[in-house]
Amino acid sequence: MILFDFDYERAATLRDAAALLARLGDDARALAGGTDLLPNMRSELVRPGVLVGLSGIEPGPPGLEADGALRIDAVMRLASLAQSALVREKLPLLAESVHAVGSRQIREMGTLGGNLCQETRCLYLNQKHDYQFAAPCFKRGGDCCYPFPRNDRQTCWSVHMSDVAPALMALDAEIEILGPGGTRRIGAADLYTGSGLKPLSIRGAELVSAVIVPAQQRTGWGFHKSTVRGGLEFGMAVIAVSLQLAQDRTTCAAVRVAVSAVRERPLRLASVERMLTGAPLDGQRLAQAATEAGKEINPLPHHGFSRRHLLDNIRVYLRRTLEQAVERARSGCA
Amino acid sequence: MLEVNESTPVAARRSQSRLISLCINGEWREVAVKPRLTLAEVIRDSIGLTGTKASCESGTCGACTILLDGRPVLACLTLAIECDGRQIQTVEGLAEGGKLSAVQEAFLDQGAVQCGFCTPGMLMSVTALLRENPKPGREQINKALEGNLCRCTGYNAIVDAVLQASGQGVKPVME
Repeated sequence: MILFDFDYERAATLRDAAALLARLGDDARALAGGTDLLPNMRSELVRPGVLVGLSGIEPGPPGLEADGALRIDAVMRLASLAQSALVREKLPLLAESVHAVGSRQIREMGTLGGNLCQETRCLYLNQKHDYQFAAPCFKRGGDCCYPFPRNDRQTCWSVHMSDVAPALMALDAEIEILGPGGTRRIGAADLYTGSGLKPLSIRGAELVSAVIVPAQQRTGWGFHKSTVRGGLEFGMAVIAVSLQLAQDRTTCAAVRVAVSAVRERPLRLASVERMLTGAPLDGQRLAQAATEAGKEINPLPHHGFSRRHLLDNIRVYLRRTLEQAVERARSGCA
Repeated sequence: MLEVNESTPVAARRSQSRLISLCINGEWREVAVKPRLTLAEVIRDSIGLTGTKASCESGTCGACTILLDGRPVLACLTLAIECDGRQIQTVEGLAEGGKLSAVQEAFLDQGAVQCGFCTPGMLMSVTALLRENPKPGREQINKALEGNLCRCTGYNAIVDAVLQASGQGVKPVME
């Protein structure tokens, strides 16, 4: 039950939606699947005056562009994306990450763009305000941070939980953004600001319109979502690896590693990538790189897990995910 | 009534009820809804079909699962106003001519119902699963039901019921 009134406009096309958002200003929010926005409205984390509904916009099927890149409409439902034969064949890493999102119902409702643009989370922030201890936190316009009493920087240490974003970053995907001034493209990592107060770099009247993933050749991949139950939860860490081997099938030619559910934004692990690129990938090197990752990530404690536990979890699962990617790259080259 | 045009300040808007038509279990119904009403509220309070349960209302329990154009979705996180002209099936629509569906019978046979609060959502998820995969394995059943929580933790009987309903050699434990 949402306890305040708002209005609703149905957009027939994405262009209409962008125009409506531009006209209505900050009071309006775009509503795609609603699996993130509506619970946040219920807890009154956001109180829009108007929702611009995108559910009437039919996504086209994912299509190959001239250069072999795959273009996917942002309004595509996660369930259809995970079932798309083309995506499963060309981008198994993306299909796997989409399959790890929420539950069957959430995937039937949620869209690709909505998953990327989800709100950050923390045990305190995503509560009904009545249940909060005393006063609103920084993100709700207050003057303190309850989960982190020593946070005196007027900032918000909530965590971005997208399962799909790290996969797209590992695949070097680009995001197409539609705004009043037309479309522009940014790298997947640039969608995020790194600030918990305002996690997304896109402006109010802009919408994520499509995701473009370049062709992946002779690539091994690994994906892991650490959870307690194994279904319908936000991850303790979500790790995506995309890796290419040189002709000798041992040396790493190129690698991209991205992790989410650790900080205010999904992270590319540059130091891990540097350690692996050009090096022979034996077990020792992978273990070293995974240990190094902890220093770079410095995870925010979230969902009741301690920093120490999260670091141990990342060290172990990053090594296993890297091993999985190497294994796949080797069998692919054979 | 307030005229809304481009020069009206947005803050002065009052959301109005709009008339929508829903085809619920094969029967077209017209309902006046405010934009803030969820499909679960409309199904339960306006239409009066209380089989669909509203529980967590934040997408974590699955008790409100219904089939919207054949796809299992959460009625508590769907705005009713977005469902104008669409096909909805609730747990009341599973029985045909007073006869329970095979899935419902299997739930009874396996004692897969304890307190019963999750059962309508479970039945809808299972119905959707068996339509696209008539012989799912245990792992596929677990994955398909990951969004439906049973706080009585009676999952084994529920999985057995799905296996029985799909004719995979599980015999009824209750006659």
